[in-house]
Amino acid sequence: MSETHIQIDNVNAYYSGNHALKNISVQIPKKQITAIIGPSGCGKSTLLKCMNRLIDLTDEITYSGKILIDGENVFDKKTDIINIRKKMGLLAQKPTPLPMSIYENIAYGPRIHGLRKKPDLDNIVEKYLKLVGLWEEVKDRLNSPASNLSIGQQQRLCLARGLAVEPEIILCDEPTSALDPVSSQHIEQQLLKLKEDYTIVIVTHNIHQAMRLADYVVHLYLGELVEHGTANEVFENPKEERTRAYINGTFIPEYTIDTEVNLKGNECPYNFIYAKQALHKLGKGKILKVIVDYPTAVTEVPRGMEADGHNVLRVKQINESDWEILIRKN
Amino acid sequence: MNLRILKDKISSRLMLAATVFACLLFFLILIGLYIRASPILSTVPITELLFSEEWSPNAGKFGFLPFIMGTLWVTVLATIIAVPISLLSSIYLSEYAGVHLREAVKPLIDLLAGIPSVVYGLWGVLAVVPFIKNTLAPALGAETIGGYGILAGGIVLSIMVFPIIISVTGEVLRSVSHDLREVSLSLGATKWQTIKHVVLRKARPGIFAAIVLGFSRAFGETMAVLMVVGNVPKVPSSVFDPAYPLPALIANTFGEMMSIPLYDSAILLAALMLLTVVLVFNIIARMVLIKIERGVI
Repeated sequence: MSETHIQIDNVNAYYSGNHALKNISVQIPKKQITAIIGPSGCGKSTLLKCMNRLIDLTDEITYSGKILIDGENVFDKKTDIINIRKKMGLLAQKPTPLPMSIYENIAYGPRIHGLRKKPDLDNIVEKYLKLVGLWEEVKDRLNSPASNLSIGQQQRLCLARGLAVEPEIILCDEPTSALDPVSSQHIEQQLLKLKEDYTIVIVTHNIHQAMRLADYVVHLYLGELVEHGTANEVFENPKEERTRAYINGTFIPEYTIDTEVNLKGNECPYNFIYAKQALHKLGKGKILKVIVDYPTAVTEVPRGMEADGHNVLRVKQINESDWEILIRKN
Repeated sequence: MNLRILKDKISSRLMLAATVFACLLFFLILIGLYIRASPILSTVPITELLFSEEWSPNAGKFGFLPFIMGTLWVTVLATIIAVPISLLSSIYLSEYAGVHLREAVKPLIDLLAGIPSVVYGLWGVLAVVPFIKNTLAPALGAETIGGYGILAGGIVLSIMVFPIIISVTGEVLRSVSHDLREVSLSLGATKWQTIKHVVLRKARPGIFAAIVLGFSRAFGETMAVLMVVGNVPKVPSSVFDPAYPLPALIANTFGEMMSIPLYDSAILLAALMLLTVVLVFNIIARMVLIKIERGVI
């Protein structure tokens, strides 16, 4: 297992007497996507909120144990929680733009941390809007209220806003549950791209999403840690019966691949063009599997295919450098 | 016809009638005041009524300016004192205080709203007026008429306005979504930065409405103000001067000296002005609050 970034040590939490987290100990690996899965009300979000201590906002909550991030205990009252929170971007369940313009939303974080110069702020806004693929859509209306954006755009704005304070960790609390499928896919693709530089923790009750994204999986049930391990271990060969039941309780799609194209070593836009040619030879409803190793292709090929009206079924990293993309022709 | 259905029809009509009566009452008052005030409106030009400083009913001079200015001075002063204190305390209660403290303080503030206004007046006469006369005015080198005046009225009135501003602002702040606070805090903002840049920004229209509601309550308040404000019909020039607000004029003089021509009509005009202003303020505030509830703002 790779280096640990967040070490959760014997964490307990109580909501007005209700035992919400029971002796949770788990290590979250650096620069990977960790999915916290489990049914609703099992303590997933509570655990996430413990990591940046937003749990403090909840009335009548008590917690104990340790969460170590870069050697600092988040639960220690002496810890500078402001600094810890700055290290962790949060992507909430519902897109939550601040009541200000698109520009101000991104500039808000850097500003409260003391950045005042307009050119610097301009650069940050542009950089992070580009990073989440929103710049082209909004560059002409940066000063209009963020609430005018579509829900999917709002969520990407929220992601950019979180990234603008230069965190090391991104915490996502069911970030796509309020979004339409295309917007969800955008966000998922962003997260896959971002894990090169960030440690990502995603709470999800969507098991397919966990399968598409996760490198490491934590399964909670009624406040208990049932099982944790690499995605392969947990999904292919769960040790615990409860995990097996939870995973099998939901449908795992098995696709029959009609054609496979290996596009390793190609750059964009050739990846897209070759994939399109391959798809052209297929009949309607047939499935094409594309293997790519060019980073931009991971987001651009699915986006282009969606734009052409085809269905992107799965985008998954299969090894260190390669990704498979499943496309159904429409 | 079935008796059950008959009962149902009668009871619904009865309730409708009661509702119509209650609503109609307001318009009847408005119309009644207008009819009774019309003699003076048709004899004295409106500009003279509003802008003349001379109030001598015996000579047929009805200038309302001293009363209008008296009302404005006292109300504005009360608002100036009340707004910062009640805003800070409602921010504290909704953002910082724990749930237990909040629950304990809420009924206390409601209680403050329930104290009869004459009791506030007494408290003003017994505590505020002597304090101004003996301590505050000498310290600032100001002249007062025994401590009675705008300052005493403003202080008493501001305390009467607290509960309304605190409770409405509290509601507005609590209606700001929890997620917004989480987002700001998660970016590393302090609590105060979050409140200042996000919560108050979102709550601004609602807070404005709360202040307007408080203001309109202060505008019409009679008894407590009348007891401490001095009641001298002269346009005031400092907060230590006495004043004579419109409600005090109505309460003090209506029913007396009715033999003087047009006097009665002038007093009813004062009532009409008061009602109109309070009505306009209330409508503005309610409109803003309704928009907030519907999520438009």
